[in-house]
Amino acid sequence: MVPPARTPLRLDRLRALNLPSSVEVSLDEWGRPTEIVEDSAEGRKKVETVVEEWKIDDEWWRTPIHRRYVEVVLEGGAHVVLFEDLVSSEWFMQRP
Amino acid sequence: MKGWRSDHAVCLWIPSFPLRAEEARRPDLADRPTALLTPEDTRRIWQASPLARRQGVQPGLTVSQAIGLCPTLALIEPDPVFYDERFATLLLRLEDVSPVVEPAELGRAYVGVDGLEGLYGTPERVVEVIAETAGGPLRLGWGRGKFTAWVAATRAQPGRPIIVTDEQRMGFLKSQPLGALPLDPDNHRRLQQLGLKTLGDLAALPETAVIAQFGREGKAAWRLASGLMDEPVRGRARPQPIVASLDYPSPVADRGMLAHTIGVLIEHALRDPRRTGWRVQTVRVRAALEQGASWLIEVMLKEPAALRERIHPPLLAHLERTPPTGAVESLAVEFTAFARGTDELQLFAKDAAAAARAGRRKALRGAVREIRNRLKRSMLYRVIEVQPWSRLPERRYALIAFEP
Repeated sequence: MVPPARTPLRLDRLRALNLPSSVEVSLDEWGRPTEIVEDSAEGRKKVETVVEEWKIDDEWWRTPIHRRYVEVVLEGGAHVVLFEDLVSSEWFMQRP
Repeated sequence: MKGWRSDHAVCLWIPSFPLRAEEARRPDLADRPTALLTPEDTRRIWQASPLARRQGVQPGLTVSQAIGLCPTLALIEPDPVFYDERFATLLLRLEDVSPVVEPAELGRAYVGVDGLEGLYGTPERVVEVIAETAGGPLRLGWGRGKFTAWVAATRAQPGRPIIVTDEQRMGFLKSQPLGALPLDPDNHRRLQQLGLKTLGDLAALPETAVIAQFGREGKAAWRLASGLMDEPVRGRARPQPIVASLDYPSPVADRGMLAHTIGVLIEHALRDPRRTGWRVQTVRVRAALEQGASWLIEVMLKEPAALRERIHPPLLAHLERTPPTGAVESLAVEFTAFARGTDELQLFAKDAAAAARAGRRKALRGAVREIRNRLKRSMLYRVIEVQPWSRLPERRYALIAFEP
């Protein structure tokens, strides 16, 4: 069999991008984020707008993923996605 | 005027500048339907004259479609260098009125007007002086910040400038169509679909809602529409003279040797980082001769240049006519006056674009090699799509080592 002409993609050279980072989230009475606290020096930031909310239940056939996502605009205009891992009840943050 | 910036601006706009430049070069074209071909793809129309547009010829059409609509259409091969030269000359003329001139694109420039009232009087008079200096049919708008001046220029008619005073500014902006905003076509379409028509409609929305929908671009658009962003005109200081010199180990009288040295010194001076963005207008060659005498020639180039092949020949002609009277101990090439522009071929010339791309790739390869040598590994990565459709953001893209 003739090997493919292009250089094979080496998976060991791939690095994950946009990994979720742990974040503390304050919620209002309806469970919507109002403030986040990052580990970084930037510290505490208020949530200015909740743009969208959705839920993902997936991969039940291996390690199940149950997440509640909330896309928000933070003070200063940063656009981020927060999600609550519904298995561990931890919150994470990543880029949309 | 604070240094090289000015809060108040006059926007000078010549729509379809390349086509106007062609008509100025060939007056017989003025009363014919004409169209310019796209520099990157000469099978398509770039710009069409009003006569051609009246017959349905639009930018983006193929040549066969355009001829089908208008059989008498005169097609013109683009000459980007000529348009660029013409625009550079216009900018030079504007610098006689104000030291703060900022080109935006071919045919559009901002002139800083803070402080000019002391020289010329009212804004109306300042605008008149700019119109007289630039010459030809053009649209002029006066206002605080580049955006207000630009919107005013888009509403102005040739010979009838629009002046928007600071007091009128908010009211003026409010009633202007959204098309004036520098947004990409998709966002313009979305704004229309939301039923927004004027800058006032956009400014009336909460800023956070606009940011949530349109991100950073939306934020800038909202601030412009609300009159909260005044971008000042920023001029550039002209570079100081650039000198490249050489001391000979022993005096040289051979003209061939002198000519060669002048060429090498020109190249050396052209590579000076201060020259970036400027073309050379005036060149001097100085020499210290034996027994304390000196020699000097000065050439003002007919067209500003940034290539050795264009600067060297007039100096050689001068050298032949009036050679040094003795052996030369040291020689210096000095660029003393400059005109805007980076090269003989500018942004709009496809050869320049290709050369720039090739140059960037070469520079990138060099930088990667340097990083590898220093850090023993590349540390540079490229983003690749892994599962762009995934509902989990962290699965969509990954980094892979960058190897140019």
